[in-house]
Amino acid sequence: MWKFSVRRIMIMIPQLFVLSVLIFVLAKMMPGDALSGQIDPNIDPARIEEIRQEMGWYDPWHEQYARWIGGVIQWDFGQSFRFKMPVTELMGQRIENSFWLSLVTLIFTYLIAIPLGITSGRYNDTLRDSLITGYSYLGFATPIFIFALVMLWVFGFQLGWFPTSGSVTPGLVPGTFDYFVSKVYHLILPALSMALITTYSTIQYLRNEIIDTKQKDFILLARAKGASESRVYNRHIFRNSLLPIAAFFGFEITTLIGGSIFIENIFGYPGMGQLLIESISLRDYSVVTATTLLFGMAAVLGALLSDIILSIVDPRIRIK
Amino acid sequence: MGFLKVEDLKVHFPIKGGLFGRTLGHVKAVDGVSFSLDKGKTYGLVGESGSGKSTTGRAIIGLNHITDGKIFFEDNEITATARKAKSDIRKDIQMIFQDPYSSLNPKKRVLDIVAEPLRNFESLSRKEERIRVQELLELVGLSPESILKYPHEFSGGQRQRIGIARAVALKPKLIIADEPVSALDVSVQAQVLNFMKEIQGELDLTYLFISHDLGVIKHMCDHIGIMYKGRFVEEGTAKEIFNDPQHIYTKRLVAAIPDIDPRKREEMKQFRQEVNTEYEQAYNDYFNEEGLAYSLKPISDTHLVALPEKG
Amino acid sequence: MAANSASVENVDVKKKEIKSPSGLSVIGRELIKDKIALISLIFLILVVAFVYGISFVLDQEEIVKVDLFSIYEPPGEEFILGTDYGGRDVFGQLIIGTRNSLSIAFLVTIMTGLIGVVYGLLSGYFGGHVDNIMMRILDFFLILPFTMIVIAFVAIVPKYSIWTFSLIMTAFLWMGIARLIRSKALQEKELDYIHAAKTLGTSNLKIVFKHILPNVSSLIIVTMTLNLASNIGLESGLSFLGFGFPESTPSLGTLLSYARNPQTLEFRWWIWVPASLMILFLMLAVNNVGVALRRASDARQRRG
Repeated sequence: MWKFSVRRIMIMIPQLFVLSVLIFVLAKMMPGDALSGQIDPNIDPARIEEIRQEMGWYDPWHEQYARWIGGVIQWDFGQSFRFKMPVTELMGQRIENSFWLSLVTLIFTYLIAIPLGITSGRYNDTLRDSLITGYSYLGFATPIFIFALVMLWVFGFQLGWFPTSGSVTPGLVPGTFDYFVSKVYHLILPALSMALITTYSTIQYLRNEIIDTKQKDFILLARAKGASESRVYNRHIFRNSLLPIAAFFGFEITTLIGGSIFIENIFGYPGMGQLLIESISLRDYSVVTATTLLFGMAAVLGALLSDIILSIVDPRIRIK
Repeated sequence: MGFLKVEDLKVHFPIKGGLFGRTLGHVKAVDGVSFSLDKGKTYGLVGESGSGKSTTGRAIIGLNHITDGKIFFEDNEITATARKAKSDIRKDIQMIFQDPYSSLNPKKRVLDIVAEPLRNFESLSRKEERIRVQELLELVGLSPESILKYPHEFSGGQRQRIGIARAVALKPKLIIADEPVSALDVSVQAQVLNFMKEIQGELDLTYLFISHDLGVIKHMCDHIGIMYKGRFVEEGTAKEIFNDPQHIYTKRLVAAIPDIDPRKREEMKQFRQEVNTEYEQAYNDYFNEEGLAYSLKPISDTHLVALPEKG
Repeated sequence: MAANSASVENVDVKKKEIKSPSGLSVIGRELIKDKIALISLIFLILVVAFVYGISFVLDQEEIVKVDLFSIYEPPGEEFILGTDYGGRDVFGQLIIGTRNSLSIAFLVTIMTGLIGVVYGLLSGYFGGHVDNIMMRILDFFLILPFTMIVIAFVAIVPKYSIWTFSLIMTAFLWMGIARLIRSKALQEKELDYIHAAKTLGTSNLKIVFKHILPNVSSLIIVTMTLNLASNIGLESGLSFLGFGFPESTPSLGTLLSYARNPQTLEFRWWIWVPASLMILFLMLAVNNVGVALRRASDARQRRG
């Protein structure tokens, strides 16, 4: 297992490097810079040039890259030109918001998917199974932004059960109980919207796994020895099928990132996804690079995590 | 003098592993094999599965890489040329495969399958090509009307005939037949074998016949080489191998051939047991510490045996 | 004994039947058995015919022209589906949007298919070091978060058209099909008909494209159909975020993006609901057809 992990991490390092170069080059290629159209037109263009010189705008790109990546390693992403504050500071609250949103989404996903997957697999080819399969298939075919819009429209606007934007009611003091409740309240609808339609892979995986396991010899043996049906499921089948689900958790991160961009923008939730879209339209390139890099790193680390967990669960993978 | 000559052929497959996928060791599928074929004759390679007989055949025609050794065909070295797509060697050496199902592309018509070698080496017009394919089908005993059918419309024996038609399309001199009948029904086996013998005379073919079935080998071959774990244990004419086996491994193989005469059943059983006991007792004498055979030593002009090294 | 082995051969023949070339009739049978897929297919044909047919008559310039006297008209006699904030006819935009979205989805599906199939075939067939390097590159593309990277690229390209937009999408979407085709090619190249082709003097490229390609064709068709569905979703998603087409070239996502304005979402359903339904139905229909095709190509799942 150690050998596999080390090899897997060594594959990751060049991936991270190429990712950072790609993002840096992308940001450099974006039309205009943070200064164009931003500074008071009365300021002498020569002065703008001077600022650009000072910022190292004209240095060779690899020097600029080295400076940038050096900062990144020390968790310093430079200054945001629009918000006039360090990017790190700007992102702090939003990373936290996105983290909670992702966590609650994951919890909802598993709370919905695991019972449904088990039911579907245990009673396969019954009405229950076809209903569940039908639901998860619909979720698979529905784009997240349409579903989220409908959820917001129905539960946010028409029924008025949930807030329609923000992450907390303004005016509450952080740390109080009301503040916490308000935060959770703001999280529920976005998280549920994402969770309800991302259950497809988990449900289908669990279903197929259980149907497969059901016919294996050790299950037949357990039954033959007189174990009750619920014991067979809880003690034998469930345990066998659930570990790989845990392993896919890492891959879920990529799905969550893609989804959060839509969810945060639709629900006006101040997280990283919203910040990314905002900063791209504002050409706030230091923020763009920072958010993209963090998202990319999260995806790379998620894949790493899953591979390592999988290699523990399923030794066959290690050989590859 | 030799028609096909194989000198000290070695085919090793690396075992990869470790942190960087380094080569940890080798599987020695073929480990120093030498033999030669005479024109117009059939040479049989026998051995259990994993003995390296198929690998030897595939290495000669260029499907497996060669770690070491040389191959001569009509006195020209072809060790490297056999690996190129368009060399004349391709025309002279052809192959018949074991599995008549997977050896024909299921998405192609018989016409395209049999014409494939013609298209690679000869520029015929569509009409000429059609006529040639029909001739070839007739030669292998299939109706010339079947050129527009697909492989799945034929039985296993018929498919194998299509494979043979394809192999002889370029008028090769040598055909490597890799277990050509072992995937077929027993009743069909004899048909295909007899047919192969027939066209051998007609087209002046030389066969390298690879099989695990000594009965089939006895029926087909003039010369025989017995392989075990990538090495030869014994080589000689069919008569020498079947009537006068010298190596303990050959003895056991020959003793295992079923006899159809029921009156001899007890006798055979007795004989097999004796050979088996001898095999177990003498195993350490006939094989080295790694369980491999020693090198061949001649005991007559044509008969070579991997006898234990003295001293 | 003889009877026994004959029956074994029969089973074998059945198993290989999937590989028989007469795939079209099997697909037809499967579609007729599967009513939902059949309805989906008819729906798709109708939509495509209508949308592409009518856009010869419809004047795109006219539809996207701002008309300040008829802003936010609810559905009525003059405008079947009302108007948007620029007084533009939503129904006309829906038709043109469907056409544009479909065109992009088709284009991206075909381009990713081409790249993916060639990449996968070469990687799988040649194997060894070539495969190793090609898979490392693919792995890297695979971990990139698609939405963000495409957004970043769209932001760079100063003036983009259907072509540049589809190229950018293609650049980050070819990996899935490439991986599938590669693993299929890895299996396929170990079969004897490939070895036979080699001994017959057929060149590597010919083997790849004339022997292996026809044998993975059903997998390609199934995967590309399913990809088409997801590409419709991806395009409208990007346009929804404002990183797809400009407003002058409406797509289904553009209409949806008006719903990012809470006022529109809450009170002017006629602008975004039809587009949502269109996307949903299109994706469902294409998926249904794709699933039926997958069943048809896999004898174990076949119904008909």
